[in-house]
Amino acid sequence: MISGRLVSSGMHRTIQRRVVWLLGLAMAMPGLCIAASVEFGSDVQPLLSDRCFACHGPDAAQRQAGLRLDLREHAVVPGMSGRVPIDPGDPAASELIQRVASTDPARRMPPSYSGHAPLEAEEVEILRLWIEGGAEYSTHWAFVPPERPALPAVSQPGWLRQPLDSFVLARLDEESLSPSPEAAPRAWLRRMVLDLTGLPPSIAQVRAFERAVEHEGEIAYAKAADRALSSPRYGERMTMDWLDVARYADTHGFNNDSERSMWRWRDWVIEAFNRNLPYDRFLTEQLAGDLLPSPTIDQLIATGFNRNHVINSEGGIIEEEYRVEYVADRVRTLGMAWLGLTVECARCHDHKFDPISQADYYRLFAFFDNVPELGEAGRVANAVPMIPAPTAGQRARIANLHSRIEGLERADEVSAARFEPSADALAALAAPEYPHNADFFVGCEDGPDAGIAGRSCGAREIDPQTEIKLEKHGAFTLSMWFRADVEHSDAPLFSAIDYSADPASSEYGRGVGLRSTGSEVELRLSKRFPSYSITVRSSGASLRPNQWHHVAAVYEGSEGKRSMRAEAAWVRLYVDGREVGTKVLHDDAQSAANFVAPYRLGRDNSPAKREFSGAFDEVAVWRRALTEDEVIAVFEAAALPWAVARASSEPERRWLHSKLNPASELTDARQQLFALERALPTTMVMQDMDSARQTHVLMRGRYDSPGEPVPPAVPETLLGHWPQAAPKNRLGLAMWLTSGRHPTTARVVVNRFWQQVFGLGLVKTSGDFGLQGETPSHPELLDWLAVDFAASGWDVKRLMRNIVLSATYRQDSAAEQSLRDRDPENRLLARGPRFRMPAESIRDQALELAGLLSGQLGGPSVRPYQPEGLYDGVVVGADYPGTKWEQDEGESLYRRSLYTFWKRTLPHPTMTVFDAPDREFCTVQRSITNTPLQALTLMNDPTFVEASRKLAERVLQESGADRSERLAHLFELVMGRSPTDDEQRVLGETLQAILESLSAEDADPSGFLAVGASASTAGFDDRELAAYAMVASMVLSADEAITKS
Amino acid sequence: MTPNSQSGLVSRRDLLVRSGYGLGAIGLHVLGVAESPAAPAFPNFAPKAKRVIFLFQSGGPSHLDLFDHKPLLQDRFGEDIPESVFQGQRVTGMVAHQARFQAMPTKYAFQRHGQSGISLSELLPHTAGIADDICLIRSVHTEAINHDPAITFFQTGSQLPGRPSMGAWVDYGLGSSNRDLPAFVVLHSVASEGPGGQGLLARLWGAGFLPSRHQGVQFRSSGDPVLYLNDPPGMTRHQRRLMLDGAARLNKLQYRRVGDPEIETRIEQYEMAYRMQASVPELMDVSAEAEGTYELYGPDSRKPGTFAANCLLARRLAERDVRFVQLYHRGWDHHGELPKRLPVSARDTDQPSAALVQDLKQRGLLDDTLVVWAGEFGRTPYAQGDPKPDDYGRDHHGKCFSIWMAGAGVKPGHVHGSTDEYGFNVAEGAVSIYDVQATILHLLGIDHEQLVYRFQGRRFRLTDTEGQAIRHVLA
Repeated sequence: MISGRLVSSGMHRTIQRRVVWLLGLAMAMPGLCIAASVEFGSDVQPLLSDRCFACHGPDAAQRQAGLRLDLREHAVVPGMSGRVPIDPGDPAASELIQRVASTDPARRMPPSYSGHAPLEAEEVEILRLWIEGGAEYSTHWAFVPPERPALPAVSQPGWLRQPLDSFVLARLDEESLSPSPEAAPRAWLRRMVLDLTGLPPSIAQVRAFERAVEHEGEIAYAKAADRALSSPRYGERMTMDWLDVARYADTHGFNNDSERSMWRWRDWVIEAFNRNLPYDRFLTEQLAGDLLPSPTIDQLIATGFNRNHVINSEGGIIEEEYRVEYVADRVRTLGMAWLGLTVECARCHDHKFDPISQADYYRLFAFFDNVPELGEAGRVANAVPMIPAPTAGQRARIANLHSRIEGLERADEVSAARFEPSADALAALAAPEYPHNADFFVGCEDGPDAGIAGRSCGAREIDPQTEIKLEKHGAFTLSMWFRADVEHSDAPLFSAIDYSADPASSEYGRGVGLRSTGSEVELRLSKRFPSYSITVRSSGASLRPNQWHHVAAVYEGSEGKRSMRAEAAWVRLYVDGREVGTKVLHDDAQSAANFVAPYRLGRDNSPAKREFSGAFDEVAVWRRALTEDEVIAVFEAAALPWAVARASSEPERRWLHSKLNPASELTDARQQLFALERALPTTMVMQDMDSARQTHVLMRGRYDSPGEPVPPAVPETLLGHWPQAAPKNRLGLAMWLTSGRHPTTARVVVNRFWQQVFGLGLVKTSGDFGLQGETPSHPELLDWLAVDFAASGWDVKRLMRNIVLSATYRQDSAAEQSLRDRDPENRLLARGPRFRMPAESIRDQALELAGLLSGQLGGPSVRPYQPEGLYDGVVVGADYPGTKWEQDEGESLYRRSLYTFWKRTLPHPTMTVFDAPDREFCTVQRSITNTPLQALTLMNDPTFVEASRKLAERVLQESGADRSERLAHLFELVMGRSPTDDEQRVLGETLQAILESLSAEDADPSGFLAVGASASTAGFDDRELAAYAMVASMVLSADEAITKS
Repeated sequence: MTPNSQSGLVSRRDLLVRSGYGLGAIGLHVLGVAESPAAPAFPNFAPKAKRVIFLFQSGGPSHLDLFDHKPLLQDRFGEDIPESVFQGQRVTGMVAHQARFQAMPTKYAFQRHGQSGISLSELLPHTAGIADDICLIRSVHTEAINHDPAITFFQTGSQLPGRPSMGAWVDYGLGSSNRDLPAFVVLHSVASEGPGGQGLLARLWGAGFLPSRHQGVQFRSSGDPVLYLNDPPGMTRHQRRLMLDGAARLNKLQYRRVGDPEIETRIEQYEMAYRMQASVPELMDVSAEAEGTYELYGPDSRKPGTFAANCLLARRLAERDVRFVQLYHRGWDHHGELPKRLPVSARDTDQPSAALVQDLKQRGLLDDTLVVWAGEFGRTPYAQGDPKPDDYGRDHHGKCFSIWMAGAGVKPGHVHGSTDEYGFNVAEGAVSIYDVQATILHLLGIDHEQLVYRFQGRRFRLTDTEGQAIRHVLA
């Protein structure tokens, strides 16, 4: 007679009366069958967890009086006091009951200072009944892997459309409730299309659907759902929610909050949803794409999920403090996104409610602790580790260029093999003059006469008086000859960079340096190494020891460029007179570095004290960027006579071949490739270091208080066994989560998709399935969905399809007052979902209805209208990228809202006013509020004012001259249904009144009609257009327009 | 038979939800994160303050050059701060390379003021004038040593993002007492030095995990005073009224059909928006202020967006019973050139802050308005870079710093706490940031341990698990 499950909170009033009455009856007449129906999991455990476990639960450090109530074997034996906390079968003898029921504040538990409310009489009664019944414990539901439950018998089998409906109806049967009638086809269509694409259906779609329902019946629904699922807009809609979970943003956060580039990751998500990437792959690639065998670029991009966290670039922070925060953020996100557990609560101490120890936490932490990342980073651009992330189009162009280059190289090879330099040709070669106009030059007159240019010198300091002061734009060229005695894994060639400061300080590694790294060279332009440097390594330089090479590093500087930072893309590297490819290692410098004296050849003052063994010559610096021809001249001034003198030996013969038979097409193709590669977007990714960092438990969660070392591991006793043969890294972690036996992953995921559609999950606390989380409203349904989802191959489209085609979903959302009172949040699902649309959809819908919305999929984030001066007095007072809002033009003003530039510390107000989170950390649920600022936004945000005008134009164009026809059309466009007579009257009267007001002599609607960048279509009367636009604005701001119903 | 035999269903779990933390009014208007209770009845006890004006000084004002005179630093000028004083204090990366941490005295003269004899720097002549009204706390300390975590800690009770701000907590607990204006208003000022300064973050006035309607509303000095407040050009008030009436009628029809109470709320919110379109401009229009008022607040008070102008607006907001007014002034981050830049910051803020207190007092509002003047930390007694008597800088310092409060329920003309001879550590009366927060809540009649919100299974407080109202500063 008493269901042991949760009923939604709104049913309280009536239900409480009944419970009190019932309990009263039970107390009056012991032996009544209530005791049998007290369930530990749903009735008792939440109570113990909420009121007792903070001091008498899993957290050993906080445990009071040695008493532990979360485990039966501890709770039923006498405690330190000698009294038995829980005496099964005998509530009166149980200390627990005595203490919670005590009227003496000094004895009563929980104590008032704990902040926990004392137990109500009914709650004490529940504990009493439970103990009387034997005080049996059971494992928390979420820690038991779901089994596919049998479909329950229901009262009206004819109502069912999907298996999931059985569970909903069975629950309604229990509650003696009936489902609501089915929504009208067009109401379902609007709801479904909004849910799956985030945009409303067009009138044509609505009408076609109604006809199809008439002719084809049921199949029309499936077809309509399939159409929505196959629209590229579907991926965008699904991505919207994932961006909150993944804390995606276009800036780094913290008080500098400068720009980052992660849109390639965002586009990966859109694409993943659109191609229906199975969810286990979706999870695995984001968690561990880099650890898959031979990962593709896309799989690497996917790992950006774990780099979307905030990164701090505030000068002077302690690096380790923030590196630890980044790792902790990954653990928290893992917990909320997939485990459904508040694991972060175990960071400073054992979890107070769930059986997760602090050591468990740090074992999870260890999976993410091994990234070669910096604590202070992200000052003006992406932080390492990062990769170039070409788009599909760029990849195709790169592949094309590669094959062209290969072909040309083969041809050149053939010609080179046959090449015999003729004496005449050699004689005709004239070496250019070395341009002795450098701002700094060391010719090494003290060296032995062994160098290519006649003289050379070894490692040494250069006169400390020598100083090169670059212009503000920072351009320079550094050129030198050198010959290495051995291959150096890493050694300085030229150092004008000061490493004397403490590496923890912001002064460390300031200046310009060139290094030899294996067969490549590496240029450093640094404000602070490595965080705020441009570090670029050559790619394909093929430098060899015991051979003279010429290297020139050219930095173009910022002159004439619009960038708000210094960029690695402005570096060119030339080896032996030929441009080579570059690989960017760091690219996070606000401005160019200067040369810091004293300068050194072959050595530097870094703590590692590496020294170059070999010789140098003609070391020169220009305070400008030399052109390619100039660089070639510098090289050939020495190289050409040398080669001519050795024309028959290698590699000189080959070089002469290329000199005499310039493969300009090849050079051109190479340079195109380099230019393309320099311009590629980058994205931050996960990486593991070769030698793993040892993770420690951090006492009290503090970065500087390491405790015992811990290996990467998961809480297996709680959440299931580690799969055999799974590697002990993030890939193994992904395998564990997606094994199909994991108790929470599939439940958490289906619950979140359910929440996306119904507003609340079956577990309302969608980020917390632990003891303090809410018990599911429909436990069997949750399990059925979870098991079915995993068994289907984690097929997201199938899940969404099943939901939108279900009878549950197809119900009308209107409800009688009595049902609303009983179930205000619709937890029982006796009606269809109805709630305000998310921020993005509200704006996107207005643009779509106005015919303004751009269909472009993906790409860098855009800056539509935003109130001027929004950043004044708020954003950091430094010219970092991302601190100014320079409004875009044209199509970019009308992109879908998920492409709007997301500045974490101050997101676009139209998003936040409609409850979008700031994305500083993982959010699995937005609140849905109702505020005057929302009203103001709909009334006056230029986006909505402009959309009203364009919508009015559309109405005037698409319908005849009849006023009521026009108004009906307007209404139908927005609401997806025709107005009722009453509504038609409101529209007509409002229009009439506005027209009258506009007929006043001084009425001038031109300013109103000029809002927004889009031109007005010619041919309308200003006053008439304005009147319709105002009515359109009114309709767009009506409750129904912004509500998914 | 049960009273409702057709259902025959009851859940005790439901009962628990209700009795422990059942949803109140909030649950009905907020779908989603509303995991928590309607706030218990606040205030818990008779409040001294009905409202708070928080004058936040972002960047870290130097306590040593403004509030806390340390003659010893003069005697020890250039000498290293002894290890016994330093005690392994964490230093920031900005001075991590310094070989020495040399004592740096202030170049400003200090004098005692008022009946109370509170000693203040010559940079604060106007604050000196209200010495007998303020309660100066010289013994505040914070864990954080960098701006972002420190200001986030002060304003939200946690160094890391995610928690509701103080104003949001107060709004959540006490609600609004003005039906035409938001309960939590935020004002940013631009320093005369220029728009530079530490970035401020929306989280500082955000709602965190509280329903987002508790977030602070920024009032702006240029453009729309509240975002999107003004109707589009060419639209008359009459037309706006017609549109709102039409929308309300459509909404009522819809309500009649579907019965969703959210629709009624929406109708009310549109009306509130309409009222704000009148009440906010009226508030922002200072043209009718008396000449003497401008003189009181200083010449900057005529320039919108200055700290002075914002202090004047804060008084107007207090008059209209807005619960929590949060001002920000930036530019206190004096790592270098302190003698050149600190006087500018002081000049920007000294007179308006003092004027606000005097103005509230003469209007009888100081009795139930709490004014708080504080930055996120202080500055080091050692020099950042070379210690030169006329050109020095100081790094961030969290071990001790000074703030002041004035008004409702606070001891006037009182100094609480002291620091050691170097101004490096607290000597007596240590006050944590949590204590400051608990004190502010206490003055509003809120027991900081009772103002809780359940989120992610945990009961969160502004003061986390710590804090105590500072008894000694309570009048």
